[in-house]
Amino acid sequence: MIHIDRIVAGTIVVTAVKGRLDSSSSPKLEEFLAGAPSEGTLLLDFAELTYISSAGLRVVLKATKMVRGAGGTLAVCGLIPQVHEVFDVSGFSSLIPIHPSREAALATMT
Amino acid sequence: MTDTELDLRLPNDLAELDGLSSRIEAFMEAAGIGPTPAYRLQLAVDEFFNNAVDYGYPDGRAGEIVIEVRREGDKLHLVFSDDGDPFDPFAAPAPDLEGALEERHVGGLGVHLVRTLCDSFAYAREKDRNVKRLTFALAG
Repeated sequence: MIHIDRIVAGTIVVTAVKGRLDSSSSPKLEEFLAGAPSEGTLLLDFAELTYISSAGLRVVLKATKMVRGAGGTLAVCGLIPQVHEVFDVSGFSSLIPIHPSREAALATMT
Repeated sequence: MTDTELDLRLPNDLAELDGLSSRIEAFMEAAGIGPTPAYRLQLAVDEFFNNAVDYGYPDGRAGEIVIEVRREGDKLHLVFSDDGDPFDPFAAPAPDLEGALEERHVGGLGVHLVRTLCDSFAYAREKDRNVKRLTFALAG
């Protein structure tokens, strides 16, 4: 199960995801992000994301392509160590900026 | 069933996934497995289950997936088997993890994650089943 919230912080759209991103829940995030404005700055707050599989990574990659294709920026923040490991091993860490917390991300991205 | 052994037999149906992850999580807690090895094993089961169901039974036949998890000394053992079409996931080429954003695809990424995060992996075709044996270090 996942829970998704959208918070607008100035010029940055924060999407906070709680729970697990696996093959059964990832389509919900995909749908949610497809309905979001793709231009501008998008921050995926994963502080309460307890799990991500390759199905979840696929959605993150797709969103990154969409946002960058429109000239915007996408970053993630708040990864727990196990999720961070998956980002590292998948090579996503070299592709997508990772910030330790939402506060740190907003300070850098604004 | 003791706290250190888990044996699950499931139909090849993605509707089983939510229940499957809950049962593995409960086992990990009961067996006192730390968050990192617990996550790595959960990921392996999840990726293998999805691949088996999505590609192992192209004719739509009913199948059986068996998952055995055992804690032994400082290792966690996983035996994942299915009666789908023969397929050795570890023989597939590694995905491109270096390319530019536009060139990235996530095909094969699940298996890459699993083989990188486990300590050892092996595949065998035994009695018309795909059998994958993995170990995970409990430290860390």
